[in-house]
Amino acid sequence: MSAPLAFADVVLDGSRTTTVALTVPSHRAVLVVGEAATGIDRLGAIALGLDTDHGGEALLFGERVAALSRRAALAFRRQAGYVPEGDGLLQNLSLAENIALPLRFGSPLTPREIQGRVRVILGAFRLAGAGELRPSEADDEQRRRAAFARAMVFDPSLVILDQPFDGIGIGAAAELLDLARGGETADGARRAVFVTAKALPDRLRSRFEERYRVTGGKLRAES
Amino acid sequence: MIGPIAALGRGVARRVTRTGALARFFVRTVGAGVTLSPGGRRVVRRVMVNQVWFTALQAVPIIIVLAGILSFLVISQTVRELGRVNATDMIGTLMVVAIVRELGPMLTAIVVAGRSGTAIAAELGTNSVMGEIRALEGTGIDPLQYLVLPRFVAAIVSVAGLILLFDCVAVVAGLAAAVMNGMSSARYFDIVLRSLSLSDVWLTLAKGVVFGTVIGVVPSFHGLGVRRATGVPIASSEAVIVSIILIFIFSALFVAVVQ
Repeated sequence: MSAPLAFADVVLDGSRTTTVALTVPSHRAVLVVGEAATGIDRLGAIALGLDTDHGGEALLFGERVAALSRRAALAFRRQAGYVPEGDGLLQNLSLAENIALPLRFGSPLTPREIQGRVRVILGAFRLAGAGELRPSEADDEQRRRAAFARAMVFDPSLVILDQPFDGIGIGAAAELLDLARGGETADGARRAVFVTAKALPDRLRSRFEERYRVTGGKLRAES
Repeated sequence: MIGPIAALGRGVARRVTRTGALARFFVRTVGAGVTLSPGGRRVVRRVMVNQVWFTALQAVPIIIVLAGILSFLVISQTVRELGRVNATDMIGTLMVVAIVRELGPMLTAIVVAGRSGTAIAAELGTNSVMGEIRALEGTGIDPLQYLVLPRFVAAIVSVAGLILLFDCVAVVAGLAAAVMNGMSSARYFDIVLRSLSLSDVWLTLAKGVVFGTVIGVVPSFHGLGVRRATGVPIASSEAVIVSIILIFIFSALFVAVVQ
């Protein structure tokens, strides 16, 4: 079976100095750290076929999403969870409505079933009392929890997180990372997790099975 | 010598490319409506109702005022002037041709473009700058279905409805003007209704659909094209200008081709 996510010869910056070749195996949490100038914040969008200007190849579950038709690409992306930089929550919807939206468009569930599922997810992400808040009324941590919850609504086997822990404490970040992993199996995490970040505290970094840093235009494994 | 010509050529090429992109955007929006899931249809319906509330219902007072004053002024002046040459029968033609067929649809569309077109472009531009569009696509939701389609349909429904309202108010305000200038209400209605045919109503509705399409699609296209926060006001004003130009062009085409 192919790895959930693989990058080959992906060029991240205009000056063509940062090239990435990387595989995210199943059941593993993989972290890539680097300065903003290296362009690593593009990796999530490249993986999902949202950013195609990189000259290399990104395979999501063995498929080049960028090569799919628009409709097929949208459907395919539901197999992976995605938290973009800055959460990307819709400001005119409540946190609960933001979480429900992908289910409304991409699942055959009835409104009542969606409501039930969202209630469970809100509980799991400790947002039970905050579901009706708009993003502007919620604090950073609640917004981040909602963005994570939205990414997990289809229970994906891979989660892609761009700068997911900016603005929240280590405790909340560790809890969200555990939720993203989806629990542990004999092989490792239930979900593969791919995270890009400018910097992470050691306590969080140690929770990743594989860690990389972009320096001097190269991706180097960290011990 | 070559420099200015090259610059002109680049400008023309840019405009043609932009027009092609707008046409593709329209086709993709229509296509997005065809492929909606049942759940998506429910969401789109809800967003559309909100848009109709904002685009149509909240615009009712301004349309009533505009139609009332315009019609009152035009009919007052006309009854007085045409009365001198015993040609007051002409006010029926004037009411139908000038107000119901031409000015009503055009002014209504311009008001909606100015009011709602700006709002649509600014809202979608902000969505784009905030990364919400990318987040939608990343979670498998088509922004055309969730953001553009409801605004597109709502604009058509709203503009068509507001044009009919404009015409009704114009006829009633024209009555008031005619009566104040010595014409009986029976004669006024006789003249106006004799000039008005069912094809005028269809034509008005057809204009509502075309102008609504322009107001639904053009601001959405400009809004979704925004990449930086500073681009939001630029996109808003461009959207309104392009919408108004297209409304004039389509008005002229209606006269040239349909009428």
